[in-house]
Amino acid sequence: MSAPSYNPDTTDIDRIHSAVKREKDDVAAGQGPAPMWIMFIGMVVAIVAGGQLGPMAGGFSFETSNPFALAKAIDTRPGGGGEGAAMDPFQLAMKKGASAYGVCMGCHQAAGTGVPGTFPPLAGSDWVHGGTERIIRVVLNGLAGPLTINGAPFSNPAGMPAQGALSNKDIAAVITYIRNSWGNEGTMVTEEMVAAIRKKEAARTTQWTMAELEPFAKQNAPGEIPAGPGATAAPAAEAAAPTK
Amino acid sequence: MQNPSPNVEPDLQADTLRRAAIDRSVKGPVLFLLTNGAFWLMASTVLGLLAAIKSFAPDFLGHASFLTYGRLQPAHINALVYGWGFQAALGVMLWLMARRSGQELRTGKSLMMVAAFFWNITVTIGIGCILFGGNTSLEWLEMPAFTWPVLLFCFMVFAWPMVSMFARSHRPEGFMISSWYLFGACLWFPWLFSTANICLHWLPSLGVIGAGINAWYVHGVILLFFVPVGVGAAYYFIPKITGQPIASAQLAKTGFWLLAILGGWTGMQRFMGGPLPAWMVAIGAMTGVLLLIPVLVVGLNHHLTTLGKHNLVAVSPTLRFVFVGSIFYPIAGIILALISSFWTGFTFQFTHAWYGYQIIAVYGFFSMVAFGAIYYIVPRLSGCEWLSVRLIRNHFWFSVYGIGIVVVTSVVAGLQQGGDLTAPERWDQSWISVVLNARPYLIARAVAWAMITWSNVWFLLHLMLMVAGLGRRSSAPTLLERHDDHSDPHLTHGAKA
Repeated sequence: MSAPSYNPDTTDIDRIHSAVKREKDDVAAGQGPAPMWIMFIGMVVAIVAGGQLGPMAGGFSFETSNPFALAKAIDTRPGGGGEGAAMDPFQLAMKKGASAYGVCMGCHQAAGTGVPGTFPPLAGSDWVHGGTERIIRVVLNGLAGPLTINGAPFSNPAGMPAQGALSNKDIAAVITYIRNSWGNEGTMVTEEMVAAIRKKEAARTTQWTMAELEPFAKQNAPGEIPAGPGATAAPAAEAAAPTK
Repeated sequence: MQNPSPNVEPDLQADTLRRAAIDRSVKGPVLFLLTNGAFWLMASTVLGLLAAIKSFAPDFLGHASFLTYGRLQPAHINALVYGWGFQAALGVMLWLMARRSGQELRTGKSLMMVAAFFWNITVTIGIGCILFGGNTSLEWLEMPAFTWPVLLFCFMVFAWPMVSMFARSHRPEGFMISSWYLFGACLWFPWLFSTANICLHWLPSLGVIGAGINAWYVHGVILLFFVPVGVGAAYYFIPKITGQPIASAQLAKTGFWLLAILGGWTGMQRFMGGPLPAWMVAIGAMTGVLLLIPVLVVGLNHHLTTLGKHNLVAVSPTLRFVFVGSIFYPIAGIILALISSFWTGFTFQFTHAWYGYQIIAVYGFFSMVAFGAIYYIVPRLSGCEWLSVRLIRNHFWFSVYGIGIVVVTSVVAGLQQGGDLTAPERWDQSWISVVLNARPYLIARAVAWAMITWSNVWFLLHLMLMVAGLGRRSSAPTLLERHDDHSDPHLTHGAKA
């Protein structure tokens, strides 16, 4: 960093200071007004920025991380306490059931037809529109072993997996849905019915077999059947099997 | 320096000697900081190259734990920010502040050398800890907790004399915009750094707000440290080289105060949709967009100041680097607005675009301006001229293309990743397919870091030769193009305002 002891170049004051000497003067900044259009652009930016703050701030509360809390929008989801709460229970169950049916659709197919020889149909099956207790048990704990449904044999190695992980509400909705779709007609299944069966079979960890379920074929799960369109369309099965 | 009658010869001579004396007074600390900074920049670009390669070829260089992506990447960013960024910034700030306030650095020089030495030791230990597993996992604060009081103290050793120079400065031109920016940077960084570190290291069980504070710190260091230093330097060098006054004092003040007011409010929008109080996120998003105003105001002012003198961009190394940095600045502002606003941010959130923003802010904008400043400052301190036009050209073009590629590929990769992840019709894609789709961009990033590494080899070599006093012995500046005297940016005749 230091210069050699004698170097005629470095003693040349003109050269040492040449970089400093050639600098241009500092000049005061222009005093004219800023162009008008930059203000308009600034306003546009400010409006866009305000759009981030205004509707998204959640009422400036430390308690809420939902940006829409201030808007107090009606929750239109079924069962969400908004418009959906006023929905007819049967319509609500059909709607929720249709979305929960996504779980079943892989095997039983979108139209409830199943796959011949492997996956039994839901459309027109007496397991579905018969007594409610058997179908609830099937959904809760699954079903294994060879089956004969509507006279046709079905079997697959895994059987039907248990769906007990679904909530009682979802199971009730999806059973109501399959009992009232594709030409099926049946009474509604309620959350309470599913809860009752779940409680009764709480200890069970294995799938049902066809023989084990035979006693429940005509039985309905305990619980009040709500009035409504689904309930009034009472199928033949209900007439045949007295409640309990 | 502000001589109204340039034909008075003795005054000119005295003024020249006065400025040369100021340069001499800051020579030691400034050259120490800039040279060590350049070494860290070299380390950072090599680490960046390795991290980029590791991100698509994890088996590269074997399986040593200190060579995994998770350690290389924070080491790369910390070397870039604390090794290079802060040292280059402090060196440029010290020289600029001394010059702008018209004062020699009288006291505290040896303390500064000690502080600069300790800064380097601390960063070395900190990055060593990152590579060997002591990462705190806090973004931009990955170095272990014991480093921050040392770094803060070292920073204050530099900041305090600068603040007092600012306070004592003679202001013949009224509002001295570059001094204000540097003054702001001296005050804002200690505030950001101590707040973030005290909250994150000392307050227990902060929970989710800790992530928000961390994001606020990163945005704050960019917007309230690197941006003011870069913009302040650009406000000095553009008029200095072009010989034209800053186009509008009004725009300059507006840009400064808007940045000062808005800069500290942004950051938490990084976690939009997350469990932070909604208003914190919303204010961050608003400020991220609102910051476009000071960015555009500064960009416009620099554009108007350069207007009519664009030929000098080709000639002067300083103006060329500063000019390109000033172009990267509005682009960085636009990228910040894109990743901040709710409409576009949900796509860019947690993607490669965030890396692109950090790199364009710290490298594309700040470092390019700092390079320009270094090409101007070092000949005045070392008493010799830059050796080779070719080395400067190499440094310039490989840097510009490298940074351009890193930024463009990161933002486009972010757009693609975010678009894939948020598109409802692509619900069935697997996470790994999104990761793999980013591969071409990561390969391009590695190529770009290789180019930047190449550029820095020459920059470091050139700087070391200059600092060693082995530059050209000449009274003529090293310019990038041959030219007639009318366009010579470094000759005063005919350019006196």
